[in-house]
Amino acid sequence: MTNQNPRPLTLTLFMWGLALIVAFLILFPLWWIFISSITPSGELFSTPIKYWPDHPTLASYRYLIENVGLLPKIWDTAIIVGLSILIGMVVSVMAAFSFARFRTRGLALAIGFLLASMLIPDVVTARPLYDFLRSVHLYDTYTGLIILYISGILPFTILILQNYLNDVPVSIEESAAIDGCGFFQSLIYVTVPLLRPALATVCIVNFITCLNNFFTPLFYSNGISVLSTAITQLPLRDNMYAVPWDLVSAMGWIIILPIILFVAIFQRQIMEGIMAGGVKG
Amino acid sequence: MYASRKYLAIAWILVLPALIIRVFTTIYPIIETFRISLYEVKLLQGIREFVGFDNFIQLFQDSKVITSMGFTVIFVVGSMIGHIVLGIALALILNMKFAGQKILRTIVLLPWAMPMVVIAMASKWAFNNDYGLINDFVRWFNPDFNLDWLIHTNTARFAVIAVDLWKDLPFFAILVLAGLQFISAEMYEAAKIDGAGPIRSFISITLPMLSRNILVLSIFFTMWRITSFDIVYAMTSGGPGESTALIAYRVTTEAFTNLNTGYAASIAVVLFLVMALLSWLSMSAAKRVDY
Repeated sequence: MTNQNPRPLTLTLFMWGLALIVAFLILFPLWWIFISSITPSGELFSTPIKYWPDHPTLASYRYLIENVGLLPKIWDTAIIVGLSILIGMVVSVMAAFSFARFRTRGLALAIGFLLASMLIPDVVTARPLYDFLRSVHLYDTYTGLIILYISGILPFTILILQNYLNDVPVSIEESAAIDGCGFFQSLIYVTVPLLRPALATVCIVNFITCLNNFFTPLFYSNGISVLSTAITQLPLRDNMYAVPWDLVSAMGWIIILPIILFVAIFQRQIMEGIMAGGVKG
Repeated sequence: MYASRKYLAIAWILVLPALIIRVFTTIYPIIETFRISLYEVKLLQGIREFVGFDNFIQLFQDSKVITSMGFTVIFVVGSMIGHIVLGIALALILNMKFAGQKILRTIVLLPWAMPMVVIAMASKWAFNNDYGLINDFVRWFNPDFNLDWLIHTNTARFAVIAVDLWKDLPFFAILVLAGLQFISAEMYEAAKIDGAGPIRSFISITLPMLSRNILVLSIFFTMWRITSFDIVYAMTSGGPGESTALIAYRVTTEAFTNLNTGYAASIAVVLFLVMALLSWLSMSAAKRVDY
């Protein structure tokens, strides 16, 4: 690239300046949450804010483990999110395969129905769904929550997988059939492995969607407590603001830290997933 | 290969689990919502009485519902203007070719990946007058600044919109960025040869090429804003008074706290019809925009 002018230094500085402002606006609040979580609760009431505490402590975290039952909540969250992603994936692959390979009027209607149901907001169905779950004894059960979490990720997942499958030639499955492969054998051993990149992408996006789900556990569970609802139910402090900020920040950071690591590791797949779907579940 | 009759049965068996789950979690309850919106239900007294459209007549005279609708409009319009203007700016920043591009994109993904409820809980403290992050930051520049954001109507509303932007603007920008990357470099080169500067090519190439993409994105983002719930639940609980109670928050309060399930259903029906109408209108508008 000898014929290209070297970029003027001012332009480079300008770009870095803009980038630093954006990074600061996003990272500084997160830093503040972290600092608050390791600050003794007495020191939190200081102006100006100390961006490094005089006596850093893990007391808030210990309190969460000993008195708030943090570990069982992490366990509940892991079970619900993990099973929802797994079962949701199986259900979605089946449906996406059917939609991509069989073209009948009835199935076209079924796709239309699935997509249209995406337009129904949680809040419009909340109360009848709550009453329904109670009547079938699924309220506040793992099964009930997992079904609802799956329901939330199904349309997005089916859409992405179906688009991907449309580009996978049927001829691969045909040659598998000629080689004596049965229908389900061919689905499991031929088609699913071909889907792997798309599966990875939806898995990652669904993980974030499920982990961030707040509406479902808030209204359809009570005893089972996942992390996203637990942060709103911490024991109140008797300060005039009724915000247990020491505990909220610690709990917040416990939720945020894995997400930061996760995003850093899977940045490329997440970008692809977001751009492919343009939908947030 | 899959044309035979035997396969048609298999096809339906494969889609059945997905269909059953969606029917029971969305279709059945929304039909119920429409049905009970015509009833007066008092769960505690065990009253369930058909009242026709009375709930609907009542809700348009209920000052709480009207306040909620008003703030929802302000929230959606304010937030969307911010999303579009700042979102395009941020997308351009993310598109800059410089050494920090990859790490900047990773940082920008973070707010999207975090639960709104965590951000909203933190915001409750961040907007506190004495010990919050926001005023501490303002005091770097103006040491005498004092304002308790969340106890005054206008500043509380502003704060809610600002937090919503912090959380979702980066996501919007990434989707605009996806659109930006479809514009071919040759167009910019051709414009450069014709003597267009960077501002001219932004106005004459980038904006028109992005318009359809941004319109479609805005439809989705508007729909999500109309049903926003987490942010005010965790950040303001609808306060001060009822001034930041978004319509979704109003529906759940009526349904789960006040136990007026019939009345709550009627508000939900209005909400749903408004959304359906809006998405139909904007989808047909989006079809017409063709650059």
